[in-house]
Amino acid sequence: MFGSRITGARTYLSAVVGACALTMASFGPAAAETRTFAVGWFSLATNSTENDCGPGGPNPGVQIQYQKSLADLGYTPKQIEELVKKAQGGEGGEMFDILRNRGRMDGKPVSPYIYPATSVDPKWKAITGKQAYGFNLDGKGEATKNGFEDPETREKGVNNELYRALGCYISMRGSLEGRPTYWAWAWGQLKDSQPAWLITVDGADLTKDGPVTVTFDRALEHLKSNVDGSPRADATYRYDSDPRSHNSYKGEIKNGVVTISEHGDFRMLQNPLVAPEFKLAKAHLRMKFKPDGSLTAFIGGYQPWSDLYFGFASGGIGIEQCVTGDIPGLYWLMRKHADADPDPKTGQNASISATYYIEAVPVFAAHPVAPKVAGDGGDAGGR
Amino acid sequence: MRSFLSRTTGLAIVFVAAGGLLACSADTSKQAASAPAAKTAAIAKDAVYAPRQLTMRRLSGEQYQNVIHDVFGPTIELGGRFEPDLRVNGLLAVGSGDVSITAAGIEQYDSMARRIASQVVDEKRRDMMLRCKPADVNAADDACAGQVMARVGRILYRRPLTQAELQAYVTAANVGAVKTKSFYTGLSLSLGAMLSSPKFLFRTETAEPDPDHAGGWRLDGYSKAQQLSFFLWNSGPDQLLLDAAESGKLSTRKGVAEQVERMIASPRLEEGVRAFFIDNFGFDQFETLSKDTTLFPKFSAAAASDAQEQTLRTVVDLLIKNKGDYRDIFTTKKTFITQELGAIYRIPVVDALPNGSPDTWQAYEFPADDPRGGILTQVAFTALHSPPGRGSPTLRGKALREVLLCQKVPAPPANVKFDIVQDTNNPLYKTARDRLNAHAINPVCAGCHKIIDPIGLALENFDGAGAYRTTEQGAKIDTSGSLDGTTFTTAAELGKAVHDNPNTTSCLVNRLSAYALGRPVQEAAWIDDLKQRFAAHGYQLPALMREIAVSDNFFAVKSVETKAADAAAVPAKEAR
Repeated sequence: MFGSRITGARTYLSAVVGACALTMASFGPAAAETRTFAVGWFSLATNSTENDCGPGGPNPGVQIQYQKSLADLGYTPKQIEELVKKAQGGEGGEMFDILRNRGRMDGKPVSPYIYPATSVDPKWKAITGKQAYGFNLDGKGEATKNGFEDPETREKGVNNELYRALGCYISMRGSLEGRPTYWAWAWGQLKDSQPAWLITVDGADLTKDGPVTVTFDRALEHLKSNVDGSPRADATYRYDSDPRSHNSYKGEIKNGVVTISEHGDFRMLQNPLVAPEFKLAKAHLRMKFKPDGSLTAFIGGYQPWSDLYFGFASGGIGIEQCVTGDIPGLYWLMRKHADADPDPKTGQNASISATYYIEAVPVFAAHPVAPKVAGDGGDAGGR
Repeated sequence: MRSFLSRTTGLAIVFVAAGGLLACSADTSKQAASAPAAKTAAIAKDAVYAPRQLTMRRLSGEQYQNVIHDVFGPTIELGGRFEPDLRVNGLLAVGSGDVSITAAGIEQYDSMARRIASQVVDEKRRDMMLRCKPADVNAADDACAGQVMARVGRILYRRPLTQAELQAYVTAANVGAVKTKSFYTGLSLSLGAMLSSPKFLFRTETAEPDPDHAGGWRLDGYSKAQQLSFFLWNSGPDQLLLDAAESGKLSTRKGVAEQVERMIASPRLEEGVRAFFIDNFGFDQFETLSKDTTLFPKFSAAAASDAQEQTLRTVVDLLIKNKGDYRDIFTTKKTFITQELGAIYRIPVVDALPNGSPDTWQAYEFPADDPRGGILTQVAFTALHSPPGRGSPTLRGKALREVLLCQKVPAPPANVKFDIVQDTNNPLYKTARDRLNAHAINPVCAGCHKIIDPIGLALENFDGAGAYRTTEQGAKIDTSGSLDGTTFTTAAELGKAVHDNPNTTSCLVNRLSAYALGRPVQEAAWIDDLKQRFAAHGYQLPALMREIAVSDNFFAVKSVETKAADAAAVPAKEAR
């Protein structure tokens, strides 16, 4: 029956496959149950609440941010008013030329996107609220200075400084359900332009507590979507054998929650438009299977913030205006709140604690092997 | 003597089918009992002889395309759109004798004709297509134009052009060449005119005295040729068939049989079989099928297209490639699948192709204990006969009765209310069975629902897009029911009940013969004879097609209007 094929052992197929396709072959000894999921939504785990940016609320919109940038460059209020008036009248060339070169290197204008440290720190606000999704990455628990409380687990001492740094930008505000503008834009770019990300969970019985193995891989195929743009459940993918995007962790299911006990590195290749790769050190994971067969997950760790910054900056003034808001301002915020990997000389932290939120749909996946003859196939994975 | 006729069949058609018109209050189990038992004795041919009226059928869009590709190759792009078809007594093929062409349709045909003609004479193709070159490309050339138009015209008109017709087309090509100072432009204009001609767009028939039936008439050789080719291949006659007509071989039963054997042995038979089932299953309705994307997000345009193809591949593989029993299409576990369908069926389908590549088809066999089996459980049937936002036991049951058992179900009364049936969120009536039971309390509705719902409810494990489910609004779905006295509890058992129902095979005989002739077949003796032969051949479809194609009735015509145009109908001497 269908139920056993979906959740049961890797023994559900009797497909006859034509030439040029991989067979859905039988499987060797393996875990009794395997489920595979394709990531259908990926964003910084965001928990914006009222007053979490302190008095005055979140940072202003980009037009006000630009006016502050012009003021920081020394333009008078009258000059700024004239530049803005021209821009509003369709003659924004002058103002945007100034803004896209608002960095100063040896006194000369340079791109603040490429050289963010040459821009003036606008000192935009960061989160002052007390709650954020995440993990106790530093192991200090409640002793963590300025740690968050996770609104779901109520764990204290949660490290998520990336959320603190970015969370008062309008484009970064939202919730798990109300998707933040930037992450919705970023995922929109990623999902159709890079291979899908697959999560595979192996265990004796995934409906019960017990040890599991969780792996993250890239697929050879892009994410498959439904007519309404939602990720397609029950589609079939092939695992990419590239080890650079293969991550495997021992873990367990306890009270229906999957966590990992090995907190190694996490690395996935990504579309350079957002970031060339996605890396976390000291990876932590928390996943739940949903009744409809899908899952939600939080994955956290310490992330090199320069990767993130140049992801933000890659779109230049266009993305700055339409999506992110003041990009160099993001640089200064992340630099300030970075909390790991200090530089031995300067003490500047190169990484920042972060937690991302994942939604994934159940899919089929196969390990392709080089065909020996036409029609010879591969090793199909379960879900 | 040759008489050239172009008369459509009458509009008043009496429907006679295997089960006839269903009386909604009747005990349907009696129908099965009253179905004729299989007879073993063959009926003499004369006893089943039943001449018909001549017909004039408009080419379907697929037939038009097939003929163009036969003549000019598959790289020719048609463009444009075809006139809507008319379904009569369950078949577009029957309706094709009742349709004309609207003014807008003429514009479309003209547009397509010009587009095709310009592709035929373009520099890339002209040498291969035309097989002759003008003495001067900037001037008219009688010989080359005549050679081209005679050869092409013979295939497009399915008969040789008359001398007058050929001369008219050569003159048109010449005038065009002179005015445009281009032989090829002139030829293109003339070819475009030929492609817009009713003689191409309509299948006209010509009759001759039938020596095998004194005083009777039959189709002449060329009309026989097109009758055979459109039935068996869904395209115009090839050169061999036209040669057989020209040589008189099609005037004999032996000659017809030889050609039928050749055509049935050809891979092109698959095209004819597909065309029949596309028509019979009503797959043209997919063009207007829509699904609520919120409720059925997997049901894409590609899924709809693949669903039709899946059923066709299932049928063709079983009936043509494996020479199987027609009844097994309702029970077979073997089918074909794509990634697009795999997501709906929840079956892994690995395709080792680059992103963005078209899906490939893979053979697949459902496990023995899988609830799916047979075409009734495939997405094409369950999704096609469902409204946009839900499944419909009523529509599915009605389709099964009408399409597969040839039993006409009366339309519902105009003032009937469907609000309970359509309320899929009804907290009181959670399943379709519950809602239909509540709806059928109305005695006006109960009669018909009694005969269509039990079979439709057997398919309730498949939602409006054909995906498997076991519950509706949290309530377990009950798929039990009965068909003409045979009870079942699952969709698979419904398939077996349809497989074993005598109306299943007799319906196919009715439909296929009507499809072949382009009209409802009222000759009970002939139909009975075909049913017996079909059974004797193990319900193999090609055998039934052969029996129809070699039957005198396939060519016999009832009456003839003679036209004094014999002189014009003398075949032109032509180059082929």
